[in-house]
Amino acid sequence: MITSVPDGTRFVLPDGAARRADVVDTLRDLYRSWGYDLVEVPSLERYDPAHPRAAQSFKLADRDSGVLALRSDFTPALAGLVRSHHPAVAGGARRPLRFCYAGTVWHAIDPELARTREFTQVGLELIGVSNARADAEILHLARASVRAVGLRPVLEVGNPGFVRALFDVAGVPRTERDAVADAIDRKDRSDLRDLLVRVGLDLADGAPAAALLQVPDLYGGREVLDHARAVAPWPEPLREIDRLEGVLAEFEDASDLALDLAMARRLAYYTGVTFRAYTPDFGQPLLGGGRYDGALLPAAAGFSIGVERLMRAIHGVRPAPEPAPQVLAIDDPGARRLRAGGVRVVRALHADRAGALDEARARRIPYLLADGRLEAIAGDTGDRARLEALLAGPADAASAATGDRDGATAEGGA
Amino acid sequence: MTAPGKLVLALPKGRVKDESVAAFRAAGLSLTDGGGDRALRYDAGDAVVIEMRNGDVPTYVELGVADAGVVGKDVLLEAGARLVEPVDLGFAACRLSLIRPRGAHGTIERVASKYPRLTGEYLRRLGSGAEVVKLTGNVELACLTGLADAVVDVVQTGATLAANDLEEVDVLLRSSARFVVNRAALKVKGDALRGLIDALRTLPGAY
Repeated sequence: MITSVPDGTRFVLPDGAARRADVVDTLRDLYRSWGYDLVEVPSLERYDPAHPRAAQSFKLADRDSGVLALRSDFTPALAGLVRSHHPAVAGGARRPLRFCYAGTVWHAIDPELARTREFTQVGLELIGVSNARADAEILHLARASVRAVGLRPVLEVGNPGFVRALFDVAGVPRTERDAVADAIDRKDRSDLRDLLVRVGLDLADGAPAAALLQVPDLYGGREVLDHARAVAPWPEPLREIDRLEGVLAEFEDASDLALDLAMARRLAYYTGVTFRAYTPDFGQPLLGGGRYDGALLPAAAGFSIGVERLMRAIHGVRPAPEPAPQVLAIDDPGARRLRAGGVRVVRALHADRAGALDEARARRIPYLLADGRLEAIAGDTGDRARLEALLAGPADAASAATGDRDGATAEGGA
Repeated sequence: MTAPGKLVLALPKGRVKDESVAAFRAAGLSLTDGGGDRALRYDAGDAVVIEMRNGDVPTYVELGVADAGVVGKDVLLEAGARLVEPVDLGFAACRLSLIRPRGAHGTIERVASKYPRLTGEYLRRLGSGAEVVKLTGNVELACLTGLADAVVDVVQTGATLAANDLEEVDVLLRSSARFVVNRAALKVKGDALRGLIDALRTLPGAY
């Protein structure tokens, strides 16, 4: 029997699984409270070479000669949901749709640099509307997500529309745009200058191409907006700055927002405000997203969080969500009362007190419940009063809440 | 983290480290000489310094264990790391070149290199079907012994080539030391890093 798992996949043991579920629930609750509806999309998709992550997807042969792909990204999948179930919005009707999701995605990559090939994404999309208030809502929820799991957020916010507008003004040829945008995004002025010289653009002071040389340094606080206006005083770039300023105006407290107008990755995909979230003492982004009008849908913005990376960032910050089982019970009616009160109760596999006592010791469960009496195995843990109060309470509500049926709790017994 | 808030710098062992420390001092950082020959990680005053092989610098900075570092552009391109590269420090200038025995002709069948990724890309660009062999030591030896009929390696002065009767037949790229920064650190420790970046750019030879 093969006992190893494929590269880039792993087992998640009880403590890790409980922590992950707690974080995913916390995020979904946050999005639900803002009116985002949870949806599900297929894990199996028809392979489409035009999919943004086509090259990275796992492909499978279907029964008929078709090729399938394992879901590699939620955003295109949600766009598919909108196209088939909200065709008017997919066709350009302006009506807000708010969706959130949580699930597994797979990437057929080399599992290098601490990346797995099977991971969990949680995120949301605000579709069918494109304005500063919508951008601000997404940005706000990205920041709130980081806070909700107990971390301090620092959001890097940019607008690739600014670089694209400047490319148009400066006449950067289409064929060179990816390379120039990449140099700007890396703030590599040396490469950038060499590229612009090679393309043959005029780099004299005041020329639009010379303005590109200053874009890598357009990062910092709100003052960046005015610097950018001075660097690129042409209508189209100015409009992109105004758009970003409009988004910031929606924030009462923008102290966690770090502007960076050199953000220029995936220029063909992101059309408006884009962002990534970081937290102190963790060197990788926790989430990323932005506005991608026209890429998959006429108007859409969103972000997604990689849960595996988020778990590494909150390691040691967020307490374990679930206590170990507290009570081992021979007494089923009493166990029902305790479970209804939220206590984790394990059913004893021994019906006799002595056997159950050994069982509790072996599993380090602090209390034994037998014949209606609660016994502390190795000294009181301080929960006794609460447990006794639950045992004294009514049993009726309990059975409905926990799904235990009268008497026989071992469901579907062997 | 022993020094919360303090900059962590990843520096390659050897001469580049000495030149980097000199550059950081000239840019206003107060750095001590460190904890002796064997210390891999030490508090140098204004920053914590970690020393490593140059090929490891991009990994430490990309994963955020170090906030920033110094590494050659050749090594950075070979690693394919996504880092912010705000300053070309100008020193450690070299060429990454295709090298053959003097007067060699004919098609190249096998190329040895410490830079297999860049070599592979270069050969594909040329439409060459030559295979690439990765070596970690002295690659000139590969040419002299017949392991490969060409090598791709760093050339600084050309003296080693001349001494071994080898010649530089093409230049893949020109490299120099770069000050590289982790993206998250640039946002989280922006104030400290930005001042350092601005000061490093004013040094002679830097851009």
